[in-house]
Amino acid sequence: MNAKLFTGMGLALALGACVSMPQPNAALETARLAVQTAEADPNVNKFAPLDLDRARKDLSIAEDASLHHQDAEVDQPAYLATQNARLAQAHGATKADDARVAAGQIERDQIVLASRTREAENARASAANSRVAADLALNQRDQAVNQRDQANDETARANGETARIQAELDALKATPTPRGLVMTLGDVLFDTGRAELKSGAGRKMDQLGQFLVEHTDRRVQIDGFTDSVGTDSYNEDLSQRRADSVKAALINRGVQPSRIGTEGYGKAYPVANNNDSGGRQLNRRVEVVIGGNNGTTIAPRSGL
Amino acid sequence: MRQISCVSKLAKGTTLCAMIALSAAAYASSPIPAEKIAVAKSSLQRAEQSGAPEFAPVEMAAARDKLARAEKALADRNKQSATQLAEQADVDAQLAEATAQRQKSRKAAMEFDASMQALRQESQRSSATN
Repeated sequence: MNAKLFTGMGLALALGACVSMPQPNAALETARLAVQTAEADPNVNKFAPLDLDRARKDLSIAEDASLHHQDAEVDQPAYLATQNARLAQAHGATKADDARVAAGQIERDQIVLASRTREAENARASAANSRVAADLALNQRDQAVNQRDQANDETARANGETARIQAELDALKATPTPRGLVMTLGDVLFDTGRAELKSGAGRKMDQLGQFLVEHTDRRVQIDGFTDSVGTDSYNEDLSQRRADSVKAALINRGVQPSRIGTEGYGKAYPVANNNDSGGRQLNRRVEVVIGGNNGTTIAPRSGL
Repeated sequence: MRQISCVSKLAKGTTLCAMIALSAAAYASSPIPAEKIAVAKSSLQRAEQSGAPEFAPVEMAAARDKLARAEKALADRNKQSATQLAEQADVDAQLAEATAQRQKSRKAAMEFDASMQALRQESQRSSATN
């Protein structure tokens, strides 16, 4: 009976120890907290579920041991549970960062690509602008060169023209007067008492006709004169006919009739003394007055 | 009679309790500490190669210490202690490696964030000026 009772008490003691509330265990508390924290971490559930499973399994072993008061068997699985829970968090955070960078790299590539594209477009646009500007500059330069050349040409032409006119007028032996340039055709060009130009006058007429054809803006006045020998009516008629002969010669050389005026002044306006033969020869003449280059009409001989 | 039935109940409970205790003991002393030590060594090597001594010196030191103690326990024929220490050294080494990786990834991510921010600002500025 004593032995029986003793055995019963012993069993009761052992049982009581086994089913009584476990003593608080620091390692187990730490493990519970670590596993709870890991469970609450979204990165763990997403990226490290196997680590979390291991931690839970270790924790449940530790809980079992603790529940059944196997205190010596609690610490080891509790420690493993804690470390595995931390491992889960570390792995989860690592993979979350890696995933974020991988996703960001796509965005970065897009930004870089867009940026490069924009740079290329800008470069192309600026190159095009440069080309346009260069073309414009070239055009302007060409234009300037052309204008300069043109101006030079005109100046040269003007200079040449002036020189040529002067040379032509020199050849015609024209003398400037208030009425215009006056070219005197001596009486050697006419036979005595006749109005027809002698053949020797041809060269002079060619020069004068060519000049007037080239300078269509100039009018010409042809005045005939005689010496004092003979009647006035005869002399005026002769001087008129001689002037008309010269006009006809110029018309034959292409000068428009409307540009040519004629007048017979007879013995009026002598240029020399009619008392000697030399003076009379000088007075028998035809004066050709060449007007200005603005087409102005030439005033009739008067006064003097 | 009351006492007997009580004892019978107690006996059932004791049996259950003993089974659990046995299974717990089987877990704790579960096989081959030399193998566990080899696994821990391998984990420790990986951790060392991953830069853990720099990034997770505390975990590394713990793992090395426990591995040394596990080897000593094995030499002392204390199999249970050797096994437990090897298991802890293994998980410590894994945590050291993971911590190192975690810090390296965090650093890389922060640098990436900074470069992205600079890139976005530059992109906005260049698109604004064009």
